[in-house]
Amino acid sequence: MKKFDSKNCRSFYGHGIPHVKPEQLTGKLIVFEGADGSGRSTQLIRLVDWLETCGYPTVQVGLKRSMLVSEELEKAQNGNVLSRTTLALFYATDFADQLENVIIPSLKAGFIVLADRYIYTLMARDMVRGMNEKWLKNLYGIAPEPDAVFYLSVEPNELVQRNLSKTATLDYWESGMDLGLSRDVFDSFLKYQQQMGDAFLKLQKIYGFDIVDANRPMESITKELRKKIGSLLGKS
Amino acid sequence: MKTFAEMNFPGRLVAVEGLDGSGKSTQIYLLKRWLEAEGIKVYFSEWNSSELVKAATSKGKKRELLTPTTFSLIHATDFADRYERHLVPLLRAGYVVLCDRYIFTAFARDVTRGCPPEWVRGLYNFAALPDMTMFFKADLEVSLNRILEGRPKLKFFEAGMDLRLSTDPYESFRIFQGRILEQYLAMSKEFNFVVMDANRDVESQQKIVRKLVSEKIDLKKFKRRSPLPLPPSLPAKKDDVTDELGGDKAA
Repeated sequence: MKKFDSKNCRSFYGHGIPHVKPEQLTGKLIVFEGADGSGRSTQLIRLVDWLETCGYPTVQVGLKRSMLVSEELEKAQNGNVLSRTTLALFYATDFADQLENVIIPSLKAGFIVLADRYIYTLMARDMVRGMNEKWLKNLYGIAPEPDAVFYLSVEPNELVQRNLSKTATLDYWESGMDLGLSRDVFDSFLKYQQQMGDAFLKLQKIYGFDIVDANRPMESITKELRKKIGSLLGKS
Repeated sequence: MKTFAEMNFPGRLVAVEGLDGSGKSTQIYLLKRWLEAEGIKVYFSEWNSSELVKAATSKGKKRELLTPTTFSLIHATDFADRYERHLVPLLRAGYVVLCDRYIFTAFARDVTRGCPPEWVRGLYNFAALPDMTMFFKADLEVSLNRILEGRPKLKFFEAGMDLRLSTDPYESFRIFQGRILEQYLAMSKEFNFVVMDANRDVESQQKIVRKLVSEKIDLKKFKRRSPLPLPPSLPAKKDDVTDELGGDKAA
């Protein structure tokens, strides 16, 4: 976690967005990362409840929710015709649209922005698909550095159980089926999530996010997150 | 960055660049017609035409949702889709690929819109360079007049209205195009542009284009193995057909 103030100013990871000064972004940006089934979205809803009850204004963003390209990206993914560079840039466009239209204005207005996934998931997915890391770093140089990033880490075997109990199926893209790791979706899911976990660990070393052991029950994770976010907000 | 030839692709890529109204699209169209008639394996690809992305781009433009950053990224996505799904496989298969605008269009436009040049160039560094880039250089007034003569309805982004250069779309277009031209000229040397005098008439330009292309590319290496079959509506003499196809005359 970073405490940004007048001395220790927030910065963009790279060139940023034309005409936006990072010191204007006075709100808090809190990011939750983790695979489908890591409990990410559930935790986020609980935290929004808690924060709003405490009187903090919040805004939520997530992947594939932009007005600009979310529908088109969904359609393209259903057709399974996306090559890796196209996939990477499509998601980057979706991210940039929300960044400029939701994240930046909200941070300027002093809101707490809760991100249900951020650039790290996108980078990890692209890394697993063999995209050049320098290229990705330049691409996501548009992103502001968050105040906190929580990576909810769950063992692949546990993820399988959680996903199957929820939807009785494994998602094509969350199983990395486009990578051809295995014809068998079950095997592919395990291999892909392992690779994603490895990519996250690599990114953790660069970006220094908080790894939360999410193999535990929901309640104890919520407790941990509340404590950490509370101290970030200067709550006792 | 390397060209496709330098990367040992069997195919070759020829790109045209220039301002709106420079006549580049006419020239590359005529080049394509000639290469087809010569029996060359040729494919034509246009900027901003990916089946996958086009709908999102046109929505973004119509509703004026785009910022310099998303304008840049959505065009990069469009380019990546055409690059990965069409250009690369065709160039692997030994085609001559003709591109109406290539990455230099993004370099010129996005930088004019205020994106950092290193960032934009970084976005596109997955792409190889064309084997030949013809830059159609007309006097600014000539290309402006070609577009503005009919007082067309200029689109918001086309006129660079997002840059707030002027409240008058025609004035905005003039300033915007002038800035893009400066960007093009600044990279002309670095990327080995073949500069074409686009003030001349179409026919004499096309003569030069064909000459330059056939000097640069050994076209006979790119012929189809056999000519395309004649359309069924054209009854040809039996002998001629078998001759052309190299078939067995006794059959």
